[in-house]
Amino acid sequence: MDVLKHLMEGFGVAFSPVNLVIAALGSFIGTIVGLLPGLGPINGVAILMPLAFAMKLPPETSLILLAAVYIGCEYGGRISSILLNVPGDAGAIMTALDGYPMARQGMGGVALSISAWSSFVGSLIATLGIVLLAPVLARWALSFGPAEYFALMCFAFACIAGLMGDAPVKAGVAAMIGLAMSCVGLDSNSGVYRFTGGDIHLSDGIQFVVVVIGVFSISEILLMLQEHHSSAGIITQTGRKLFNLREMAATWWGTVRSSVLGFVVGVLPGAGATIASAMAYSMEKRMTDREGTFGKGDIRGVAAPEAANNASATGSFVPMLTLGIPGSGTTAVMVGALSLYNITPGPALFTQQPTLVWGLIASLFLANAMLLVMNIPMVGLFTRILRVPNWFLVPSILAVSSVGVYAVHATTFDLMLMVVLGFAAYLLRKQGVPMAPLILGFVLGDLMEQNLRRALSISNGDAGILVGSPISIGLWLSGGLMLLLPVVMRLASRRRRAMGAAIAAVGK
Amino acid sequence: MSDRALGAACALASVAMAAAAHDYTAAFSYEPLGPRAFPMLLAVGLGLSGLWLMFRPTLGAQAFKGVPWKPTLWCAGAILVYAALFQALGFVLATALMTVPVGMAFGGTWRQTLGGGAALGLVLFLLFDKLLDVVLPVGPLTAWLGGF
Repeated sequence: MDVLKHLMEGFGVAFSPVNLVIAALGSFIGTIVGLLPGLGPINGVAILMPLAFAMKLPPETSLILLAAVYIGCEYGGRISSILLNVPGDAGAIMTALDGYPMARQGMGGVALSISAWSSFVGSLIATLGIVLLAPVLARWALSFGPAEYFALMCFAFACIAGLMGDAPVKAGVAAMIGLAMSCVGLDSNSGVYRFTGGDIHLSDGIQFVVVVIGVFSISEILLMLQEHHSSAGIITQTGRKLFNLREMAATWWGTVRSSVLGFVVGVLPGAGATIASAMAYSMEKRMTDREGTFGKGDIRGVAAPEAANNASATGSFVPMLTLGIPGSGTTAVMVGALSLYNITPGPALFTQQPTLVWGLIASLFLANAMLLVMNIPMVGLFTRILRVPNWFLVPSILAVSSVGVYAVHATTFDLMLMVVLGFAAYLLRKQGVPMAPLILGFVLGDLMEQNLRRALSISNGDAGILVGSPISIGLWLSGGLMLLLPVVMRLASRRRRAMGAAIAAVGK
Repeated sequence: MSDRALGAACALASVAMAAAAHDYTAAFSYEPLGPRAFPMLLAVGLGLSGLWLMFRPTLGAQAFKGVPWKPTLWCAGAILVYAALFQALGFVLATALMTVPVGMAFGGTWRQTLGGGAALGLVLFLLFDKLLDVVLPVGPLTAWLGGF
């Protein structure tokens, strides 16, 4: 019952007054960031991370803040999906399919409360999943050597490229750029300066905060210009506030199924809440949609994707805490936040920093409960925030982002670098290059190179060590499978389409 | 710009990376893989991806279709100037100035954005600098803002 003991200690950390306040604050901010279209968890976490550091919060407290924001965003995204038909964050796209029709039928209150409830169930099941799975995985990962780690990181990149869907090559480009950016600065093994262009500001490497804010905040502002939505169409007549028992029973098993699915998807590195909620929605549609009501305001179609996106966000903490390999773009930012405190996540974290790990896990339980409480009665307050006009909102985002960057080193150079990276990221994003692999590459770059070099030092330069153990062979093979998966699926769907066309032709 | 242009840019960048990384050799080395190998590996990866995009593009010129160029350029310019003057003008003044063009690009009137920007700068300054201990530049307003 080691786990229970640790968990109790974790609750000791989470129940400290400061951490309680921070978790509540994080949940509140997270819901707001989540419901604002255009801002998602990754932007919220990126903007808050340097501020938490500048305010000299202890590491477990800032991690609790960021985690609460992350889970809060998954709650918040549904509000604008349901009331405005505009997803507040990418994970809430599927929620709009049935949530908005429900709201138009005067059932907005029910849609909001049932989705808050299923979000709660999703996060709860996934947090229980962390408690059960994480210590086991961490113990197993302790036996990893540098070669296995290198293979594991390559596997993570393969996952992110394979699951990113239509553009694996572009995900590869993003990963390479991120990895290359992590090389900038002094190479500690040899004393060689790399890619600094002789500039003294870069000799220390590029600051993580500068990259994250540039890539996710500055470029987002420019993207918002094209896609800004007015809150004019917001539905104000929401009807009955709370779901009844019959509605809860109708959605219960779908919620549980979707939570488990979301957790599994979240644990895989690279696949995030967006994929999880899409999978859950189509699974529920296939399994339960007998009358063809999905897409026309079916309550089951609101509950399932919300459970899945919360479960997946929570599940993505598993690879981050146990392997040091983030499972999503947002947890990649959190790994960077920990590196500000000189903490490297990985299997040793469970033994070396038990208060941090178990405090975080306990806080996930707490923040989730707080979010449920906040999101059912206080939903009216949050919808009012949707009415803040963009002309005020966007400058605020820019100002707060710049404060975060300035707080780290207090130089104009960092601010300018942030802007340049932001413009570059804008151009890349416009061409469909995803940013999550870039951030993953930037975060993992140093570890990846160090592990590669260490592995080859052990074997005296023989590259055979990279495929020398069953674990690494398994990881290379699964990575290859992940890369092949989209190709195979595309071929399969093409064949199916061709067959369908052939049948249609014969039918004529 | 299209996938072809993106691919060409990647290929060029990879050549530049490889050229820069070529000289990264340690004075004396005690490990088989020096500081050069990893950047070289990345340059090769980036170059291959670039070539792939050049010869198998999936996205044509439509990538930038529908971009509202005028407000986007205004906004980008304002962001750049904001970053450059952040320290010299101080947080409050710089923020108030930045809010006008950025806010107007997002549909505010100049009166709204000027008032909103001044309030935003002052409130955030008090919040971060005075309350949360995140030190911000004060610039020429030192006499007013430094004192309390």
